[in-house]
Amino acid sequence: MQKILSVIKREYIQIIRTKGFIIGTILGPVLMAAFIVVPVVVQFISVDQQEKIGIIDETGEIFMDLEQKLDQKLKEGSRRYLLISYQLKDDVEALREDLNQKVLRKELSAYIYIPADISGGGEAEFVSEHVSDFDKRGNFNRALSSIVIEKRLRGEGLDPLKISEYTRPVVLVTKKVTKRGVERDTGGTFIISYFLVLVLYMTLLFYGQIILRGVIEEKSSRVVEVVLSSLTPFQLMAGKIVGIAAVGFTQYAIWALFGIVASQYSKKLITGFFPAAASFTMPSIPAYILVYFVLFFILGYFLYATMYAAIGSMVNSEKEAQQLIMPVVMFLVVPILLMMFVIKSPDSTFSVVLSMIPFFAPILMLLRICVLLPPFSQIAGSIILLVLSIVLMIWLVAKIYRVGILMYGKRPSFGEILKWIRYS
Amino acid sequence: MNALEIEDITKKFGDFYAVKDLSLKIPQQTIFGLLGPNGAGKTTTIRMVMNIIIPDKGSIRVLDKKMDEAMKERIGYLPEDRGLYPKMKVGEHLYFLSELKGLKGQEARKRIDLWLERFDLTDWKLKKVEELSRGMQQKIQFIATVIHDPELIILDEPFSGLDPVNTKLFKDIMLEMKKNGRTIIFSTHRMEQVEMICDNICLINKAKMVLEGNLSHIKKQYGKNSVVLDYDGDASFIQSLPEIEKIDDYGKFMEIKLKEQTDPQELLNTLVGKIRITKFEVMEPTLNAIFIEKVGEKDAKDTLSH
Repeated sequence: MQKILSVIKREYIQIIRTKGFIIGTILGPVLMAAFIVVPVVVQFISVDQQEKIGIIDETGEIFMDLEQKLDQKLKEGSRRYLLISYQLKDDVEALREDLNQKVLRKELSAYIYIPADISGGGEAEFVSEHVSDFDKRGNFNRALSSIVIEKRLRGEGLDPLKISEYTRPVVLVTKKVTKRGVERDTGGTFIISYFLVLVLYMTLLFYGQIILRGVIEEKSSRVVEVVLSSLTPFQLMAGKIVGIAAVGFTQYAIWALFGIVASQYSKKLITGFFPAAASFTMPSIPAYILVYFVLFFILGYFLYATMYAAIGSMVNSEKEAQQLIMPVVMFLVVPILLMMFVIKSPDSTFSVVLSMIPFFAPILMLLRICVLLPPFSQIAGSIILLVLSIVLMIWLVAKIYRVGILMYGKRPSFGEILKWIRYS
Repeated sequence: MNALEIEDITKKFGDFYAVKDLSLKIPQQTIFGLLGPNGAGKTTTIRMVMNIIIPDKGSIRVLDKKMDEAMKERIGYLPEDRGLYPKMKVGEHLYFLSELKGLKGQEARKRIDLWLERFDLTDWKLKKVEELSRGMQQKIQFIATVIHDPELIILDEPFSGLDPVNTKLFKDIMLEMKKNGRTIIFSTHRMEQVEMICDNICLINKAKMVLEGNLSHIKKQYGKNSVVLDYDGDASFIQSLPEIEKIDDYGKFMEIKLKEQTDPQELLNTLVGKIRITKFEVMEPTLNAIFIEKVGEKDAKDTLSH
C-alpha cells in the first residue's frame, strides 16, 4: 500500500507540473469567462457617443412622434440620437443628394426618408455609411413601425392600447414533475444534462489518453522493469490509475471553484448593465445530480482507464495505439450520438437497455438521471453491472498488463493476447 | 546460508522452453557469474527470481525465505532493459525509487547525496533525466539499485555500454560490497570480466544449465593442456598438426587446446623457425575457451562477438 502511495504521488506531481495541465486547467475557464464577459464589456464601451440623424418626413406628422420614441439617453444624460428635421423643398431628389453628401462628410451619421404614403405601404429608407449596425437599425424600425401602426389604427377608429392588450401572446410555462414535487423549468434541465454529459465524455477521453501515454512512456523509456524490481505490475497500474484520477479531481475542483466565483461575479456584472436580468436565475444543479455525476465519473473512469492501460501495455508507440484505441473511443462516442434520442424519450425500452450496458452506462444513465430521475432499481442495476464489469476488467487487464509491459517489438495479435491471459 | 536457492524451475512461453529444470545454489558473500549466449534464459531466470515472471514449476528461496513481494526490499536489481522517467529530476527520481524500496526521509536524501558525489554527478541532481548522457543514466540506475544497501544484488549485463573508467568503478563497488557481506549475481557474456571478479559461475545454454561451480575448480578440471601463443607470420599449418585438438585463432594470438598426454614442449619445437613467437604460455584454459567448448562454436561466436 505504501508503494502504491508512492506511485500515486509521483504520477500526481509529475502531471500537475506539466504545461498541458496548467494551461488546460487555468486557461480553459479563463477562455470561457472571456466569452461571457468580453461581449458585455465591448457593448459597454462602443456606444457612448451622440449621433446626428437627419429625417425627411414627407408626411409632416411623424417627426414629433419619432423624437419622442427614440429617447435613449447616453450615460451623461444627453440624448443618444439627435434628430434633425429637414424641411421638404420642391425637389426631393436634390435634398436627398444633399443629405447623402452630409453623411459622407460625417455631418450626419445617417438619415431616414419617410415617404408620404407610408401608412399605405410605402417604404421608408435608412441611409448610412454603416448599415451593419443591426441594433441601431432595429431601434429605428421598431419606433417607426409602432408610430405608423398606431396611426393606421386611429385612422380606423380603433384604440391602439386595447388592440395591443387583445393581441398579447399566451405564456406557456414548462414544469417538471418529480417525486419531490413540481418545479418550474426554464430549460435548465436540458442545458445541465448537456453540459454534465459533455464534461464527463471529454474528461473520460482526456484522462484515458493521459494513462495511455503514461504507460507507453514507461515502456519506451524502459523504466518499467526498474520499477517492477520494487513492486508488482498490479501495484504500478493501480497507482497510475488512482494518481491520474486524483489529477482529474484536482482539475474538477479548480473548475468548480472558478465556476462558483465566476457565476457570482458574472451575475453582478450582467445585472449591472441589464437590470431586467435580475429576475433571471442561473440554472442550478440539484445536489443529487452532482452526487451521481461524481459516482459515474469514478465508475466510468475506472472502466475506461483500465482499458487504456491495457492498450498502452500492448503497444510500443502512440501511433501504434491509435488503431487499438478506436473501439474504446467508439464506446464513448456511441452514447453521445444517442444523446438526443435519450433526452427525448428517456424512459423508452431502448433508452433503458442502453443505459444498463456498462460501457454506455456512465454517460447514458447520468443523462437519464438528469432528464427524468429513473426508478432507483434501474440506477442501482446499472451501478452493480458497472462495478462487476470493472472488477472483471481489472482482473483481465492486470494479466494483459503484466505480460505486455515487458514485451517489446511486434504488436501482439489477438490470439497472443488470449494466450497471455491464459498463461499468466 | 545460501543467498539464493533455485530448485528445478521451468518456464515455458507457448511451446518454447525459456528455462528448463534449472537448479542453482549461490552462497552468501560471493560474486556469482550467470553466463550464457543470447536467448539462453538468463534474463528469464533473473525475472523469475525477482517475482516478475512466475515459474511454471519449481521453487525459489531468497535469503533463506520463500521469494515474495516483501523480499524485494532486500534485493537490488538492475534489469537488462533499464531506463528512467525522462521528465523527472535526477534527485527526485532517486528518491522515488528508494521510497519504493522502503527507504525515505532524511536517510534517503543523505545516501542519494553521498552516491551522487561518489559518481561525480552532484551537479546533475536538479537536472532532468533526459538531459543526461546514457552513461550517466546508467550510473543513476546503478545508484538506484544499491541505494537501500540490499543484501542480494542482481545485475543483468551491468557493464554494457560503459567506458573502461566506469566499468572499473562499478567493479570496485561490487568487490567492496562483497567485502561487506553482500552477495552479487551478475549476468554477462564478457568472459574477461567474469574471470576477474567471480567466485562461482553457472553457464546456461538453450534453457538448460551446462556448467556450474567454483571458477578455479572448473578451470583445474579442464587441466593444464592449453597454450596461448602470440605470433607473427603464417600459422595456418598448425591446424593440421597431429597433437592439436582445437584452435581458436584470433590473428595475432591463438588459444590452442592440445590432445591429452601431449607435451607442450613438442609443439614449441615444431613451431620454432616457422613463425615468429613473441609469447608461448602453458596455462589453464580461459573461460572463453570453456564457454566455446560448452556452448558450441556457432552459438558462442554469435554471443561473444556481440
